[in-house]
Amino acid sequence: MPAFAEPTTATADRNSGAPPGGRPADPPPGKIPLRSLGRANAKVSALGLGGHHIGDPKSVEEAIAIVHAALDGGITFFDNCWEYYNGKTENWLGRALEGRREQAFLMTKVCTHGRDAGLALRMLEESLIRLRTDHLDLWQVHGVGFDNDPELAYAQGGVLEALDKAKQQGKTRFVGFTGHKDPAVHLKMITLGYPFDTVQMPLNPFDFHFRSFEKIVLPEAQKRGIAVLGMKSMGGTAEAVKRGVITPEELLRYAMSLPVAVTISGCDTLAVLHKNLKIAQGFTPLTPAQMDDLRRRCAETAADGRFEPYKVSLKFDNPCARLPHGFPIDLQQKEVKQFLERGTGTWSPQ
Amino acid sequence: MSNRFQPDRREFLQTTLATAGGAVLAGTEAPAAEIGGGVGSSEPIPRRKFGKQPDEISILGLGGFHLGKAASRGEAIKIAQAAIDAGINFFDNAWEYNDHVSEEWMGAAIADRRDKVFLMTKVCTHGRDKKVALKQLDQSLQRLKTDHLELWQVHEVVYDNDPDLHFAAGGVIEALDQAKQQGKVRYVGFTGHKRPELHLQMLSHDYPFDAVQMPLNCFDATFRSFQQHVLPEVNRRGMAALGMKSLSGDAQPLWHGVLRVEEALRYAMSLPVVTTISGIDSRVVLEQNLKIARGFQPMAEAERAALEKRCAVYAADGHFELYKSSVKYDAAVGREQHGYPTMEQMPL
Repeated sequence: MPAFAEPTTATADRNSGAPPGGRPADPPPGKIPLRSLGRANAKVSALGLGGHHIGDPKSVEEAIAIVHAALDGGITFFDNCWEYYNGKTENWLGRALEGRREQAFLMTKVCTHGRDAGLALRMLEESLIRLRTDHLDLWQVHGVGFDNDPELAYAQGGVLEALDKAKQQGKTRFVGFTGHKDPAVHLKMITLGYPFDTVQMPLNPFDFHFRSFEKIVLPEAQKRGIAVLGMKSMGGTAEAVKRGVITPEELLRYAMSLPVAVTISGCDTLAVLHKNLKIAQGFTPLTPAQMDDLRRRCAETAADGRFEPYKVSLKFDNPCARLPHGFPIDLQQKEVKQFLERGTGTWSPQ
Repeated sequence: MSNRFQPDRREFLQTTLATAGGAVLAGTEAPAAEIGGGVGSSEPIPRRKFGKQPDEISILGLGGFHLGKAASRGEAIKIAQAAIDAGINFFDNAWEYNDHVSEEWMGAAIADRRDKVFLMTKVCTHGRDKKVALKQLDQSLQRLKTDHLELWQVHEVVYDNDPDLHFAAGGVIEALDQAKQQGKVRYVGFTGHKRPELHLQMLSHDYPFDAVQMPLNCFDATFRSFQQHVLPEVNRRGMAALGMKSLSGDAQPLWHGVLRVEEALRYAMSLPVVTTISGIDSRVVLEQNLKIARGFQPMAEAERAALEKRCAVYAADGHFELYKSSVKYDAAVGREQHGYPTMEQMPL
C-alpha cells in the first residue's frame, strides 16, 4: 500500500469557477465551466455525460434527446465504452452526435482486460464505426481493477502499445485508463510510468474515508499533470441517497469541487439531466468547510464500503473483465445478462 | 483470398466473349450491364439483366418479409410505392410471410401500378406435393391482386432431404412447370439460406431454374460460402443470382461495429448478382438504402479485399450468420412439415 497523501489534497483554494490547478477564471453565469484537461491541450466541460446510462432509455429517440439536451446545456464531454450494453450505447451516441461531432469531446474505452494490442485496435475500429466518426478525443483502457492488470497492460504487446499506435495514427488525441476497484492498482498503473493524459476514478465523500482514490491517486495524478476524471459521484447505485444520508445535489457538488477536469454523470432521463445541468451551469465549488462537513456526514457509513459496492463486491465486477482473466461469472446476475444483450431492431440511420 | 475475384472476372469476360452476340450473361460484373453511374442522390438506381432474360431488374430489391413488419398497412403501402417511384422494380415476397400480411399489403400497394413491378413470391410446400403448391399459388395471386407473377420460387431449401422431396414425382417442381404452362408465372427459381451443398444439389438436377436466391455478404465470403460455391455455378448456367441477407439477417455486425451499413450493402451489390433483396420496414430505412443504390458503383478490388479480411476474423463460427449456424431463421411451418420440434423447443 502506498503512503497516504495528506488528507488535505482537495482543500486547496477553490474560489474560482474551476478547481485548483491551472484553472480558468469564473465562468459566465449560466454556462458550465470549461476546465483544462491536465497538461493536455484541451478543455472540457466540468460536467460530462456518462455513456452507460445512454443505453437505459427505451428508445434511441429518447437517448438522442438526452444527448442533444446535454450539448445544448453546455456539456462537451461524452463518455462511452466498447462493452456498454454490448455496443448499443456507442451506436446510440454515434447517431446522436451525427452532424454535431465537432461540439463534443468524445471518449470511449477499450476492453481488452489483459488481452493484447491487436484486439484493442480491432475494438477501436469497431468503436469508431459505431460512433460514426474517424477519431476519438480520448481513448481509455477500461476497468483496470484486478491486481495483475497493470503488468498485463505494460507487458510486451499489451494494450498500452495500442494506445501509442492509435495516437500515432491520429485515431485518438489523448489516452488514459479507468477503474473503480482499488486505488493501489491505479497508483501502480501511473507510477510504472506510461504518459497517460487522463485517469478516471470514483470520487465522492464516502471514497474520502474508504480505500480512497481521492487521497491516494488524485494527488499523484495532479503531480504528474494527468487530468483526473471523476465518476460514481452518487456511489454507483445511489444507495446512500435512497437511505437519506445525503442528497444527490450535495454529492454532485462535492465531486465537482474536487481538483478534477470533469465529473462524469449518468443521466437516464431528461429530468435527471436537467437537475444536473442546474448544478453545473454557473457552478461554484463548495468551500473547504462545506466539503469537510459533507465528509463528516458520510464518515460513519463509509467505513465498510456499503455505499461503494464497486469497491467491495465481486458482483460489481464486469463479467467482460472477469472472463478473460479466467474468473468465474454468475449467469443469473443482472450485469451478466445485460452483457449478453444484443442490439435489436432494423438497422436504421436515425 | 485478395485475388479471388480477379480470376472470376477474367473467367466472366471470357464467358461473355464466348456468348457475344447471344444473350448477356446473368449477374455480370456490374458496370458493364448497368444504366446510370456516379455517386449522387439524383442518379437512377442501376438495373441489370435478369439472367438470360431481357427483363431489367433494379439492383436493389424490396424484401417482402420486412414490409409486413412496417408500423401499419398504410405505412407499408407508402414504403412500397415510394420504392417504385425511386426506381425499385424487384418485389420479393413469400406465401407464408407474417401470416400472409406481407402479400396482402404488397398487393394493396401495387394494385394500380402492377406493370411497374417485377413481382416475385415463394411457394412454401416444405416438401408437400404440387397440389399444395398450386393452391398456394392461387392464394398468393389473390392476395397480391394480380393474375400472374414474374417469378415464383420454391421457398427455403434448408433441410438435407429438401432437394429429394422437391424433385420427387408429384412434388413442387412439377407445380413450377404447370404454373409456367398456365401462364401464371413467367420464371421459376428456388431459395435457401442454410448450406451451399443443398443449393448445388438442387442445381445438379439440371432443372431449368431461371433464378436462385442465396445469402450473400462479407461473412459468407469465408464461412460456408455461397459466394464461393454456388454463385459461380449459378452464373455459369446463365441463371439470375439473387442476393439476400446483406446485413446478415439481423444487422448484428452493424450493431457490433464490424462494418458500416454502406459497406455491407455495397459489398453485396458488388457481387455478380442481378439484385440484392433488402428488408425495409420504414421509409427511413428505404431512404438509407436508396442513397446507397442510386448511381451505384461497385467496390474497388482493394476495398473489397480489405473488407473481407476484416470480416473473416468474425465469420468463422457463424455467429453473424445465424441462418446458417442455428435454427433461428427456419420457418415454423417448414419445421412442422418435416416433423421437427419448434425453434422454441430447440436448445439453440
